[in-house]
Amino acid sequence: MAEPIVKYNKVTKYFDDLQVLDEIDFEIQPGEKVALIGPSGSGKTTFARLLMMLEEITDGTIEVEGEYLWHEKDDKGNLKPASSEHQRKVRSNIGMVFQHFHLFPHMTVLQNIIEAPVTVQGRDKKEATKAGKDMLDKVGLLDKADAYPAQLSGGQKQRVAIARALVMQPKVLIFDEPTSALDPELVGEVLEVIKSIADEGEASMLLITHEMDFAKEVADRIAFFDGGKIVEDGPPSDILYNPQSERLKDFLERFMNTQ
Amino acid sequence: MVWDWSYAFDILPEIASALSVTISATVVGFILALVLGLIWTLLIRSTNKIVHHVANGIVRFIRNTPLLVQLYFIFYVFPSIGIALDPFTAGVIGLGVHYSTYLSEVFRSGIESVGPGQWEVATALNFTKRKTWTRIILPQAIPPVIPVIGNYFITMFKETPLLSAITLVEILQTAQNIGASTFRYTEPLTIVGVLFLVLSYPASLLIRRLELKIAERY
Amino acid sequence: MTFWEIIVSMLGQGLFTTIVTTILAAILALVLGFAGGLMRLSNNRFVRFIVAIYVEVFRGTSLLVQLFWIYFVLPMFGITMSALTAAVLAIGLNYGAYTSEVVRSGIQSVDKGQTEASIALNFTPAQRMRRIIIPQAFIIMLPNLGNQLIELFKSTSLVALITLTDLTYQANVLNASTLQTTEIYTALLVLYFLIAWPLTKGIQILERKLTEGRM
Ligand SMILES: Nc1ncnc2c1ncn2[C@@H]1O[C@H](COP(=O)(O)OP(=O)(O)OP(=O)(O)O)[C@@H](O)[C@H]1O
Ligand SMILES: [Mg+2]
Repeated sequence: MAEPIVKYNKVTKYFDDLQVLDEIDFEIQPGEKVALIGPSGSGKTTFARLLMMLEEITDGTIEVEGEYLWHEKDDKGNLKPASSEHQRKVRSNIGMVFQHFHLFPHMTVLQNIIEAPVTVQGRDKKEATKAGKDMLDKVGLLDKADAYPAQLSGGQKQRVAIARALVMQPKVLIFDEPTSALDPELVGEVLEVIKSIADEGEASMLLITHEMDFAKEVADRIAFFDGGKIVEDGPPSDILYNPQSERLKDFLERFMNTQ
Repeated sequence: MVWDWSYAFDILPEIASALSVTISATVVGFILALVLGLIWTLLIRSTNKIVHHVANGIVRFIRNTPLLVQLYFIFYVFPSIGIALDPFTAGVIGLGVHYSTYLSEVFRSGIESVGPGQWEVATALNFTKRKTWTRIILPQAIPPVIPVIGNYFITMFKETPLLSAITLVEILQTAQNIGASTFRYTEPLTIVGVLFLVLSYPASLLIRRLELKIAERY
Repeated sequence: MTFWEIIVSMLGQGLFTTIVTTILAAILALVLGFAGGLMRLSNNRFVRFIVAIYVEVFRGTSLLVQLFWIYFVLPMFGITMSALTAAVLAIGLNYGAYTSEVVRSGIQSVDKGQTEASIALNFTPAQRMRRIIIPQAFIIMLPNLGNQLIELFKSTSLVALITLTDLTYQANVLNASTLQTTEIYTALLVLYFLIAWPLTKGIQILERKLTEGRM
């Protein structure tokens, strides 16, 4: 097997006294699409936010392309907390799409998309604009380039947010329940976009979702979270149709009943 | 006669010409207040505990002491440590420093009104700290508080007569000088009051309009 | 003089005058503010107009100019008064104008449903105001009123300029006679801070007590 692009080593996370993640080991291969499922409060979001460096890691390490994300080696080879330069360098491989989009309200759609390529990556503005427009075309919103976020529907906002993340050419793209803030009739258009990216993309994906059918369709692997641990991890068919643990069985059963 | 129109018209040009001092003190003082106010806000937000507490303490002290006394302090005490300032400079520094503490509070509230999601997405897009501030946070934090900032500008304008206490010849001091030489205070002091009203009232109406416009957008 | 002696000699007369001026002016401002704020909401256009004029004139001109006008110009019209009276009047009128706006917007921000519920319960308009609206509005106004009290306290330093013997005036006198400029004005700043800061804190605590469980 190739070198994993993301590797969690005994990752532990506490919020004060509350343990949310318990010594998790986990890998994502280049290009692999992994879905995370599990009950509410099981730690999926926290798990993903650690990779985006939005929460402080309590214990353990995360590697991205063989480099530590939260740590650096000092002269003697010991791990020490990473400098912010090091963090930014490693983090540049990761992108994220949020549940609540978080578009920049003071910028047009196109500005939203080219802001980071230009100011963060230092790309040429013309080139970034062209890349941004291609991306908008891909998510079907080229005609909204000059609109402001407030003028868009939720589904359109999320498609812009996806384009904004993609234009940075991340090697790993995190989606945290990208459709759960949307009205039901808008979910389809966003899932379609994510599916098309998954189909063509070399980028790895970490997809937190409650849409089981979608997870099955898109993911190469599904990991089931419960109580701060990954209880089962395998191909979608195994996880969804041949669950081993009682907890996953329970979860799927309850899930089917509420559908 | 209690009110002498021809006298009033005689002295009007002299008082009005001192308006330039009043207005330039306001403008320069306000620019200082804006810059310093933003600096306080950023220092107070610092994760360094010492920086945070020192900045907080200074702002608190300035806010809880009178501008007039601060002006005396700058004008009369600074020379003893080798900084002799002319009345205009001392006055502008006093106004700027005093109002910076109010503006710092305004900036703080503006910044806090930008949701945590914007900070997170800036991290996710790998913005540097500096770019996060200049490109994402401040452009959202400032526009909604512009009316409040405008109101402080007017308030500061109306406090400039205090600068007469450190011998700056602005419009109030000019009026008093005229009064002292003619023994008539009614017309000069009334003219000063009317000038303030005539300038600040329309300005405050303008800001109210701006406020409605901005409320519409956000 | 030592730093301590300077403080003590300013404290006597000066502190007393500063505090008396603050209290009297604050009372006047509060009375005018509530009267003005309520009148601003009156159905009578003339009443509203009069209050609007009062508010705009006193907000639109400078406090120091008002103070001088009351102290130096009113005597020309045969109205003479002591420096203390002039000080209380000027500061009270000025802050009253600001307070009336606080009162007005506080009352206006009480939920319309409260008025409708009181009408449904057959309260008279006066009962409605006194028993239902104002108690709720007051809590909304508190932070603003507290801020204004601090500002009012600081503004009493201006009365030194009409020769009222407050803290600032005493400092100026002392400065002229001893030339210990640095010590005197440092002590003066510290004194004001030592009054204003606990006052700020006290108001915040009061605010928390009063709003507990209500908002
Ligand atoms: N910032 C925080 N401070 C304290 N506790 C937190 C914080 N963020 C999350 N938690 C707690 O951590 C636990 C895991 O939360 P997390 O959001 O990772 O779960 P999740 O699996 O994403 O749930 P959901 O499906 O509802 O999104 C929960 O008990 C939550 O209350
Ligand atoms: Mg979650």
